[in-house]
Amino acid sequence: MNASNDKTSAHATDEPVLVASGLRKTYRMGRVPVQVLKDASIEIRSGEWVAILGASGSGKSTLLHLLGGLDRPDPDGGMIRFEGRRVSDFGGAELNGYRNRSVGFVFQFYHLLPELSVLENAMLPCLVPNRWFSATLPLLAALIGGGVGAVVGSTFGVDILPTADAPTPSKIALLALTCGVLGAAIGVVIFQLGQILAERTRLRHGPQAANSRHTLEEFGLGHRLRHRPSQLSGGERQRTAIARALASEPSILMADEPTGNLDATTGREILDLLKKRHDAGLTIVMVTHDPTVAEYADRVVQLEDGRVVESTV
Amino acid sequence: MYQPLLANRYLRSRIIPLIAVAAVALCVGLVIIVVSVMSGFLDMLLNSGRTLMGDVIIRYADPGIPHYDLLIEEIESRPEALAATPVVESFGLLKLPYGNRTEGVQVWGIEPASFGQVVDFKDSLVWTEAPPEVRKFADEMNGLEIPVFEKLPRLDPESDDDDPGVILGVEIDSAAKVRRMDGSYEVKAPAFWMPFRDVEITLIPISTSGALEKPDNRRFDVTNEFQSGVYQIDSRRAMIGLETGQRMLGLEAAPIYDTRLLDETGELERIGTYPARVQMILVRAADGVSPEQLRDSVNLAYSAFAAKIDDEGAMTIRPPDEAFVGIRTWREQLRDLIGPVEKERELMRILFSIVYLVCAGLVLSIFWSIVHEKTRDIGILRAIGASRPGVLGVFLAYGLVIGLVGAFLGALLGWSVVVNINSIHEAMGEPAPDWTWITAFALAAVMLLTAIHAGLRGGMLRTLLSIVGALILAGVGTALVLHRGFLMWDPAVYYFNSIPNQVDWSSAILTMAGAIVFSVLGAAIPAAKAADTDPVKALRYE
Repeated sequence: MNASNDKTSAHATDEPVLVASGLRKTYRMGRVPVQVLKDASIEIRSGEWVAILGASGSGKSTLLHLLGGLDRPDPDGGMIRFEGRRVSDFGGAELNGYRNRSVGFVFQFYHLLPELSVLENAMLPCLVPNRWFSATLPLLAALIGGGVGAVVGSTFGVDILPTADAPTPSKIALLALTCGVLGAAIGVVIFQLGQILAERTRLRHGPQAANSRHTLEEFGLGHRLRHRPSQLSGGERQRTAIARALASEPSILMADEPTGNLDATTGREILDLLKKRHDAGLTIVMVTHDPTVAEYADRVVQLEDGRVVESTV
Repeated sequence: MYQPLLANRYLRSRIIPLIAVAAVALCVGLVIIVVSVMSGFLDMLLNSGRTLMGDVIIRYADPGIPHYDLLIEEIESRPEALAATPVVESFGLLKLPYGNRTEGVQVWGIEPASFGQVVDFKDSLVWTEAPPEVRKFADEMNGLEIPVFEKLPRLDPESDDDDPGVILGVEIDSAAKVRRMDGSYEVKAPAFWMPFRDVEITLIPISTSGALEKPDNRRFDVTNEFQSGVYQIDSRRAMIGLETGQRMLGLEAAPIYDTRLLDETGELERIGTYPARVQMILVRAADGVSPEQLRDSVNLAYSAFAAKIDDEGAMTIRPPDEAFVGIRTWREQLRDLIGPVEKERELMRILFSIVYLVCAGLVLSIFWSIVHEKTRDIGILRAIGASRPGVLGVFLAYGLVIGLVGAFLGALLGWSVVVNINSIHEAMGEPAPDWTWITAFALAAVMLLTAIHAGLRGGMLRTLLSIVGALILAGVGTALVLHRGFLMWDPAVYYFNSIPNQVDWSSAILTMAGAIVFSVLGAAIPAAKAADTDPVKALRYE
């Protein structure tokens, strides 16, 4: 691992929050294996802004994806620890929780959901965690609907069979089953409709909505809350994406070329916005190919050919 | 709980969910229409068969069943039976009043009163009054007497001077009248209208030893004609009175003499009566009793009846042994008629299961493309911590709503078409009204102008779509101009007056449930595949 410099922001501590060592990642291009990361190691301390700088194809995005839990290293391809726990050992639910609460991602191409409004996009991470009733209640609605359907089918099945068909027990059972399927479908759809109505209030006036609204207003998007992403400029989209990444108050914000798709002025606006958050204590890991963008960081990690070659302040 | 929110937005945001709903609705509607008509056709055939012979038939060919009145009494005393009626049956010759035409017919001797309680006899009679063309003819013939049609026609003569009556199957006389498209009959030759005329029937009795005896030929007044809906019966059966039939076939009651006394006194001593016999007894089930239950009950009744006759002294004719008497349900009796139609229906079901699969493939492919388009969204959701089942839930809800709405719209479409199928069919039978093809050509012209306009402005898609639209409309217009009326359902061929217009709800519900299951599966399979993909790969997907 390369030595890191001690010149960091006032909030940075010596305690590493995220440690990656000896990371290896190989992709397949058709039949050809391409090793993108070759023994890359990095340490991120709490409150630090680290820029991962490298040329195109150097493996910087791959490193960020591995750190953020969006991808896994090769088997025996190194180790990532977050607050002392091995991320590479996380199971499905733990990994989802890590992506949802511990890290927030900002992508070069924003990756907003086009069907949702700015406010809904921004608060999406707060809606994602499954609550105990997320699967139980629809299932219960399906069971109740299916039961009612089956009872109706077995009771009135004889009346709707064509006279040409003798009402044998197997035919009545089939009819009860099909009525059960219809009943279950109706039950679930009615439940979903009820849920949409109930969620509407939460989406507009709940505590998560208030938080996201506050963030968006802070980012100058207070007048755009109900707009769709397609109605926004590139800078506005990226600000919405940052608001989304911050919605669940993560420990680390990971940004993959956050200004790569923006003009210089808008890019600076975005970096100023990140700096403001960083000054307030946010840990940031940012991937960029642009040295001027990397200047915003407390520390710059140079990546070359899948290896960390230099770390400068 | 983002699943209902996202599913709702996906459903409302693009035109493709509407296309999917339309595809599901069309598939469901198509299957409902075809299966309903097929089931309705079989129902009509079976119902007409059942109303012709009651629920259970007891049959014993010559020399017939003696003491049948006691057997009927025994059957009617059972709660499973509503009524029973005796019938004699034989093949004979029918001489029509024109052209020296003689037909081979099946003659049934019936008792109209009890026969009407067992089968829907009254409803099958064709003539309730003379048609206008016959009345006109009667007026021209200086007040030719028009027969009065009784609801329950008398067939056996009241006195020896009266001619017995006969009710002919409506298709036996196919020369004097023509069947219209609506199923009614137009009398082309009123002079030969059957109720004005007499016919001759010849029957050949068979002795108890099985030998042919002297044929009996009698003249009958045609009292009415009947229509069962089954061509084989309507073109072959003539119904006469039970007593007349028994007399002509030698099945009436007759005294039994002791021939040993002939030489001593010169006269035969009457020592008993040979009871009248019939070859069939038709039985109708009480409400809620299945033909199979009635058949079992009739079997018991026959055993009780046979035992009772055995107890009644030696000098009588005993009923045939139970083992030789056929006691069958109407379905068993009409096996040869029902069997092929049932096989046809099964064939249709197999063919339609292929149609089902094609529909399922269509729904699957539409969903596959919809979910593929959303792969990037799935990547975003997974990147912010959504679980795989959670992501799958969005598309389950999506597929479920499309399947449910499509299934109900399809049922509505199927129901609308089936209920109005006869009106639609009639409209197809007429040439298209002028306004329809004029409108089609006018719209085609508008589309053509739009295409030219769009072409001049360089819009390729609008130009192409407008040209396609213009061609389709011109094609529809041409088809309407050329359409001179086409009837698919010809009552002269099918012998039902109308196309069955009852929805087969059992098949409809099965189809709807199938559509919902396929829609949910169609959405869930590609969504599960996408959810299994790493977020990074899904995000890269374009």
